[in-house]
Amino acid sequence: MATIIIDGQSIDCTDNVTVLQAALEAGWDVPHYCYHPGLSVVASCRLCLMELKLPHPKTKEMGWAPRLFPSCQTPVKDGLEVRFDSEKITENRRHCMEYYLLNHPLDCPVCDQAGECYLQDYSRKFGDSSSRMVEVKNKNPKKDIGSKTLLYQDRCVMCSRCVRFCDEVAGTSELCIVDRGSKSEIDIFPGIPLENELQGNVVDICPVGSLLDKDFLMDQRVWSLKRAKSVCPGCSAGCTIHVDHNAGQVWRLKPRFNPGVNDWWMCDEGRFGWKHVHDPKRLNRLMVRRGAETESPDWSVLPELARFRFERAASDAGTDKIGALLSPFMSCEEAWLLVRFIRGVAPESVLAMGPVPTDGEDRTFPKGSNGSTPKFTIRAEKCPNRRGIEMVLKGAGGRVISFDAFVKLAADGALAAAWIAGGYPNDWVTKPLGSAAVKVGDLFAQDMFENAVTEAAAVVVPSCSWAERSGCFVNHQGRVQPFESAIAPLDGCQRDGQFLYALAEETGLYDAAGVRAKMAATMPAFGELHVAPEEPRFAH
Amino acid sequence: MDSDQVEQRPARDWKATDVICVDQPELTTAERLYLPQVFGGLATTFRHMFKKRVREQTVVQYPEQKREMRKEIYRGVHRLNRDEQGRVACVACFMCETACPAHCIHIEGALSPWEDREKYPIKFDIDELRCIYCGMCEEACPVDAIELTPEYHLVGSTRDEMIYDREKLLMVYDRTKEDKPRKGPAVTGY
Amino acid sequence: MLDWIKSVLSDQFGFGIVLMAVLLVAILTAVAYSILLERKVSAWIQDRFGPNRVGPYGLLQPVADGLKMLLKEDIIPRNVDRALFILAPWMIFVVAMVGFAVIPWGGQFRWPWMDEGEILQAQVASIDIGLLYILAVSSLGVYGVVLGGWASNNKYSFYGGMRAAAQMLSYEVPMGMVILTVILATGHVRLESMVVAQTGTFFGLHGFDWMFWYHPIGALLLFISALAEANRTPFDLAECEQELVGGYHTEYSAMKMGLFFLAEYAHMITSSALIVALFFGGYLLPGWSWLNTSESALAMFCRVGVFGFKILFVIFVYMWIRWTIPRFRYDQLMRIAWKGFVPISMALVVLQGIVVYAEWPQWVTILGNVAVVLVVAAAMPRGRPVTGRQASLERKVQVSGG
Repeated sequence: MATIIIDGQSIDCTDNVTVLQAALEAGWDVPHYCYHPGLSVVASCRLCLMELKLPHPKTKEMGWAPRLFPSCQTPVKDGLEVRFDSEKITENRRHCMEYYLLNHPLDCPVCDQAGECYLQDYSRKFGDSSSRMVEVKNKNPKKDIGSKTLLYQDRCVMCSRCVRFCDEVAGTSELCIVDRGSKSEIDIFPGIPLENELQGNVVDICPVGSLLDKDFLMDQRVWSLKRAKSVCPGCSAGCTIHVDHNAGQVWRLKPRFNPGVNDWWMCDEGRFGWKHVHDPKRLNRLMVRRGAETESPDWSVLPELARFRFERAASDAGTDKIGALLSPFMSCEEAWLLVRFIRGVAPESVLAMGPVPTDGEDRTFPKGSNGSTPKFTIRAEKCPNRRGIEMVLKGAGGRVISFDAFVKLAADGALAAAWIAGGYPNDWVTKPLGSAAVKVGDLFAQDMFENAVTEAAAVVVPSCSWAERSGCFVNHQGRVQPFESAIAPLDGCQRDGQFLYALAEETGLYDAAGVRAKMAATMPAFGELHVAPEEPRFAH
Repeated sequence: MDSDQVEQRPARDWKATDVICVDQPELTTAERLYLPQVFGGLATTFRHMFKKRVREQTVVQYPEQKREMRKEIYRGVHRLNRDEQGRVACVACFMCETACPAHCIHIEGALSPWEDREKYPIKFDIDELRCIYCGMCEEACPVDAIELTPEYHLVGSTRDEMIYDREKLLMVYDRTKEDKPRKGPAVTGY
Repeated sequence: MLDWIKSVLSDQFGFGIVLMAVLLVAILTAVAYSILLERKVSAWIQDRFGPNRVGPYGLLQPVADGLKMLLKEDIIPRNVDRALFILAPWMIFVVAMVGFAVIPWGGQFRWPWMDEGEILQAQVASIDIGLLYILAVSSLGVYGVVLGGWASNNKYSFYGGMRAAAQMLSYEVPMGMVILTVILATGHVRLESMVVAQTGTFFGLHGFDWMFWYHPIGALLLFISALAEANRTPFDLAECEQELVGGYHTEYSAMKMGLFFLAEYAHMITSSALIVALFFGGYLLPGWSWLNTSESALAMFCRVGVFGFKILFVIFVYMWIRWTIPRFRYDQLMRIAWKGFVPISMALVVLQGIVVYAEWPQWVTILGNVAVVLVVAAAMPRGRPVTGRQASLERKVQVSGG
């Protein structure tokens, strides 16, 4: 513990932090561009400068040193006294801002960063309302630096965050600074575009509108977006994210600070992996097949219909002839509700988990850093909740079998009725499962897209994407992380939690927290949620 | 992103002495009888029945006569201005959509096909039925691209007809540019 | 054929039937045009032109209005009491039309082809208790209003209906009293006899012996009560838009709404006719004894014309008042009836009774009326009582007098 004095107030802080970090933690609004907690310190933006009390070289008397010190580079020391509220500091910030805006094109109306731009914020808070620049501004056309990113050089403040990110976190070093002085600019090496798997993050950390996401380019103004706290379903890493949505549509995903899980980052695969949410091919109505005919009854009939069919199968063929296949894309609550329904109808029923998709090996970053602790990992296991489903199955007890055994059971015609849950963003049905599904007597398929199982099913229940659902995922570390629904379900769909709630004979609206509390009674692991801490208010 | 905190003003309560209490004046006998006052009123209205000249001066017989108005400030149908090259001047910055209190503007922006411009609207719809003609869009526009015109003959036989799209709004500009010239060449560069 | 028509017209019953048909058409036309007049009067008072698009000076506007009413979609809301909902406008309309049966349009006459001894009454039904009939029928009008409000299954309509009922009930009382005064003064209950009783000489003015001169206050009370009975401004509390949307006819549309409209104006014509007959000498024109007494058909038509003009004037006053005076508050409305009109009209009855009993000359009632005005002026409350929070506040500024 160290105690420092900022603007006359004593602040307690941990030892290994810088003054800027301590000040931000304590709620000081200290402007900064180049400093990012996840990157190395370069102290180049000069906005976070502070005044420091030092002993006079001759008289040894303590006094404010005449020069200013970068607070991002100064480690705290017990008894250190600094100040940000002096005339000097205010003037420094004002001049810095004027300097940053010398060549700025002031094209906020067409800039996608407007609204979350630190040039806007800081020039309003610390800058001047007018520029004294009379010369012609430097113009610098936009550069296409990669398949996903655009560079608008004339908006750049040369904080070098992007360059440092590519060096230190991605480890691919595609970006560099070329030229010097007022001509310096960010660039790529000739013929080597910015193509690493984490490149979306350079857009996030860019404090101005210099690096922009091509996917989100000119789609929405950021102030009209609403944010939902969510968890990325792309892999088992369980990166916490913000789902930015407006008018019932997801527009982009942004990483949410979560130390120990994803820190400040997320991979491009997850970042752009939400497109299936608005796929026009999604199933959007409840379908009941009677022979060759298909009808779409109201959702209110589903609980009775399912209960009647499963009970009929249980009494006709025996309770051990009932099965349910859970999906690693379900939330734990949904899986638990489904298990409750199936086991409630047939206590001897068989449970299994669907296939766990994998993609090669875990990919660690920085690339090429052998041995050192990775700063970011993309998991090979491409589903968010394998561990959670395993926990639910373990809690359920009874006959729990593997996916292959389930398929074999189905292929042998040993299932009189089954509920197969999908919800994968791609076609997941294996060939054996596809042919086995036909042999199941009464098949309920819960899925987002048409596939062999929904073709064979007697009842097709449309499923929602994770952006429309709520619940919790358990990541590869075993952290139970809640996510909230961002948008309303697709027209004609019901949230999975909602109909499963009704199946499990609960009344009212699905409430993930309430279900979790009931689960925690038998599975205490669900009583403890891992909620990412908020970042300090003025940090970015 | 962080918003400035709004300064909280202390709540002010009123004191009994803040209120000036004025009693109603007592009525005279004639007033108390009520009828003389009624007859007074009747006399006034009766006089007005014969003020033919006032009637003819004040009433505007609309389709035949039209009110003269100040064309620079009247807030009628919107228009989308064209720049010097005849392209839509709008840069799709969504400021009008953001400022609109009635949420009647819907814009979709895209990368412009032109060298000198960054962004332009591929879709620009104004629901003229929903609009309250407050002129906030005009205030918000950084390039003076959207303006309210002196046109008030706003008719349509369906609701869809009253949703003005980009082409229709540009047509309004072509129609009204003589009446109300564009404020000046915009300082674009966007 | 001609003979048959003549014989039908010569018979009082046959004539009554024909008159009924003529009246129905005439009244409906008059109603339509009084709606136009209403709009014109309101426009003139407000320095506007009024309807002037359909036909010259907008004279065909009633036709357009009628067509519109008939062609509009007739909506019956889902949860209304269908039977009563449909019945209510007819009820109120029929009642308003039935009142015309006993109005003496032109007194006694005979057709040129008729014998000396024969005589006809220019009236659908000349009954002995014509006045009572009118009272009875016009108070039935409230049924339609209450039914309409009730059947609409809408709280605003219901409020409107209830207000109308309470209001009509209250104003029936002073109205009856005033009519009683006239009955006492003339000694008749038959309307045509009451008209004839006003043919005398009033202070040397021949044929000017109108009841109005003897009972100006009574005439005023009757007029105001008739306003209230007809639900006209300033007493249109039953349909005031600011409080009750449209009152009892909120849910009505097309011709059902039109019937309510027609009934209101028909009711206005009836009550105007009643006021004219009771206080303004009916179809008599002072100073022209041929017109007043001749039994020729021509004189009868002239008398009908005179009567019509008098009615038109009263209707105009109705409209004039509507566009001048704002609406009363409901408590004020009730206070005026029960604390103002009822005692005053009672005083008038007593006054007239004394005059008749003591066999004093009729002009004594003029003095009596003046006395009533003085008493009322003295008894009126001064200023408004200061109550509630106002009373507890410290007075900083005292404004006195006015």
